[in-house]
Amino acid sequence: MADTLVHPTVEEPPVEERRRPPRVRKTPVTYLLRFIVTAYLFFLVAWPVSLVVTHTFSDGLGSIRSLLEDPDMVVALQLSAYVAVWSVLINTVFGVGMSLLLVRYEFPGKRLLNSLLDIPLSVSPIVVGLALVLVYGGRNGWLGPTLAGWGLDVIFSTPGIIMATTFVALPLMIRELVPVLEEIGIEQEQAAESLGANGLQRFWRITLPSIKWGITYGVVLTLARSLGEFGAVKVVSGNVLGQTRTATLAVEEKYLNFDQQGAYATAFLLAMVSVACIVVVAIIRPKNHP
Amino acid sequence: MSIDVSGLNKKFGDFVALDDVNVTIPTGQLTALLGPSGGGKSTLLRIIAGLEKADTGSVTIEGVEATHLPAQKRNVGFVFQHYAVFKHMTVAKNVAFGLEIRKRPKDEIEHRVEELLKLVHLSQFAHRLPSQLSGGQRQRMALARALAVEPSVLLLDEPFGALDAKVRKELRDWLRRLHDDVHVTTVFVTHDQEEALEVADEIVVINEGRVEQVGTPDQLYDEPANDFVMSFLGEVTHLGGVSLRPHDLEIDSSPQLAGSVEGTVSRLVRIGFEVRLTVLTVDGDEVSVVVTRAHARAHRIEEGSTVWLTPAAGASVVPRMAAAV
Amino acid sequence: MIWFSALVLIPLAAVVVTAIDGGWDVFWSTITNGQTAAAIKLTVFTAAGVTAVNVVMGPLIAWVLVRDRFWGKSVLEVLIDIPFALPTIVAGLVLLSLYGTDSPIGIDIANQRPAVFLAFLFVTLPFVVRMVQPVLEELDRDVEEAAASLGASRFTTFRRIILPSLTPAITAGAALSFARGVSEYGSLVLLSGNLPFKTEVTSVRILSSIENDNVAAAAAVATVLLVISLVVIVVLDLIQRRVAARG
Repeated sequence: MADTLVHPTVEEPPVEERRRPPRVRKTPVTYLLRFIVTAYLFFLVAWPVSLVVTHTFSDGLGSIRSLLEDPDMVVALQLSAYVAVWSVLINTVFGVGMSLLLVRYEFPGKRLLNSLLDIPLSVSPIVVGLALVLVYGGRNGWLGPTLAGWGLDVIFSTPGIIMATTFVALPLMIRELVPVLEEIGIEQEQAAESLGANGLQRFWRITLPSIKWGITYGVVLTLARSLGEFGAVKVVSGNVLGQTRTATLAVEEKYLNFDQQGAYATAFLLAMVSVACIVVVAIIRPKNHP
Repeated sequence: MSIDVSGLNKKFGDFVALDDVNVTIPTGQLTALLGPSGGGKSTLLRIIAGLEKADTGSVTIEGVEATHLPAQKRNVGFVFQHYAVFKHMTVAKNVAFGLEIRKRPKDEIEHRVEELLKLVHLSQFAHRLPSQLSGGQRQRMALARALAVEPSVLLLDEPFGALDAKVRKELRDWLRRLHDDVHVTTVFVTHDQEEALEVADEIVVINEGRVEQVGTPDQLYDEPANDFVMSFLGEVTHLGGVSLRPHDLEIDSSPQLAGSVEGTVSRLVRIGFEVRLTVLTVDGDEVSVVVTRAHARAHRIEEGSTVWLTPAAGASVVPRMAAAV
Repeated sequence: MIWFSALVLIPLAAVVVTAIDGGWDVFWSTITNGQTAAAIKLTVFTAAGVTAVNVVMGPLIAWVLVRDRFWGKSVLEVLIDIPFALPTIVAGLVLLSLYGTDSPIGIDIANQRPAVFLAFLFVTLPFVVRMVQPVLEELDRDVEEAAASLGASRFTTFRRIILPSLTPAITAGAALSFARGVSEYGSLVLLSGNLPFKTEVTSVRILSSIENDNVAAAAAVATVLLVISLVVIVVLDLIQRRVAARG
């Protein structure tokens, strides 16, 4: 297999500035790689996912309809949506602020902060739940009893679920925004400053609009992640039917109660939203451009 | 009234960017800050603009003490090397930005934007996005944007550095003509001496954080204060302990004048109407001489010819300094 | 900033502190408890094995995505992101439908060891790929062409020119993949049956401790996982520093 990289003549002359499109040379290796990769992804992802779809619709729209007619299920779906929206809001505000801090300012401990922000991605959701319970648990938590005294129940109620969900999705917005901010640089803002704009005006008229796509992608990813959280929510919510049961918890419960159809239907709904999120981002994100 | 800079010092860590800079930039003129890259001229410009802060010293703009004023309050227009266009706004919105910040009435803004776009010949692009414009067009837009708020001073940081040679030349001429129309005190930074000599009313030569000389282009070219200024603004050659211009040397095939130095032509290149010679003198100097084609022909100067060199009458001459480390 | 502390740092610190509070003996006995130790071993080894697979498959997939062009390639791009966006519990159900009791191809690994491997493989799929892909895209083709002009075969060019520049990305992706695998919970709930000593992973052990109100034990095991995560983060940071230095 001692091929060289000498390519057959290409029509267009090489242009330094424009990125050359990959000159694809079709060898047996190319086809082999294509096959391996496609097969791998097919058996690992594509087929299993499609089976969920077929299971869900095995008797038409029936299972979905019965799902949506079940009041407890509707509450679960609403709760998931409610929590997800809050998580997106909080993470957007925090994410924008944090990203600006990381990109525009220098301060001691910055690298540490940067690394710490990746924690939620590599930590077990059960541990997340445990950590929150230890601090905010109503009985023995560090802050829990005090907060309960003020009437704020965190664990086993919605605020706790929101906290857990926000935690696990934390890095997503920041990881989207930091590269965008780094690429934009500060010149536009300096130009605005020289034209008389104060800090708030610069932020509102220049900074925010120039990162709007980064924010959009971040929002979509955070939404998908927030809707899908399971482990941390399980620990923190107590899974009280009709009150703190999210859609993801419902999937587990239904399956374990032998309501396979219900489980598949709920799973389908959740999967549909996640896949929709990915597809939306893939479509609106132009190639080779952040 | 003008821009007054006194006692300015600026360090970045250990690097001294500006070393006790004192300079007065006259009102209404087009002044160039000229010098090699890293010499401090951009830093000086940015301190005048308020985008950087000096360690010590003061800046006065049109009589107003500006040292501690933030950039947004200084009423200076700034044009960046890489345009710094507001990518998400149309050309018209870009130009209107400063006026919108100052909460001017809508029709006033519209009128002024129209006026300015006409001035910079971008009227037909008013509703395009900057990404649809060429580099030169973007820079013209940036200029219009800076002028919109009627700044007392216009500052340009290597404004044509990112453009290719032809566009650079065009915009250079265009800037000069614009200034003749608009008469705003303009300061621009460049490392291209030809640009400075062609465009500016006055040039401030800055090297290694210090002002080397201030003067008109002619003054700087003909009466350089030191070796650096001389070599930065034009070709320099050395003959017997002095630096002078290659075209200021008389070259003859026989010793005509007292004090001529004998030498041999080691290299001869004809470029257009110029003939560029390298002469090896008996004293060991390697001298560059530039003469016209006609002159070379008349004196029958060829490679290997023996010639005599004398500095021309009235040539600008500077005692040669020891080579810088 | 205060925000960040309240949400992230304090709770995590609480875990460690609680573990320490329980005393060293409790800590040690919890970890060496047969069932827990088995769970930890299973988790770590499976995650390592899965990471090994990802280290091979990841660059492979990235290569095909970047260097090849064919109809339907964008579908592959979406497929790769699915495990990241899909709720973990749904992932479990997804895998169950092909590899469980009702499998159309007759493979039933539900409640068996391979199920754990499969689940980890699924959820860690995107990590190495997405780390390697941008690096591959930015690679300067000129360097490869220079190698070719000097006589290098395609394979040699890959081995000596391309691979070294991908190594930091692969390592970073591997670190993330390992950490993710070790932390996995949701997809295993339905797929592996969580059978003690067979298919029970660390996260499940922690959960049972929590449900039994044995907070100290839960914190102890959780601390072990946190230490692993910490190691991952340190490794990632070191790599980033190395890459930045090389420029």
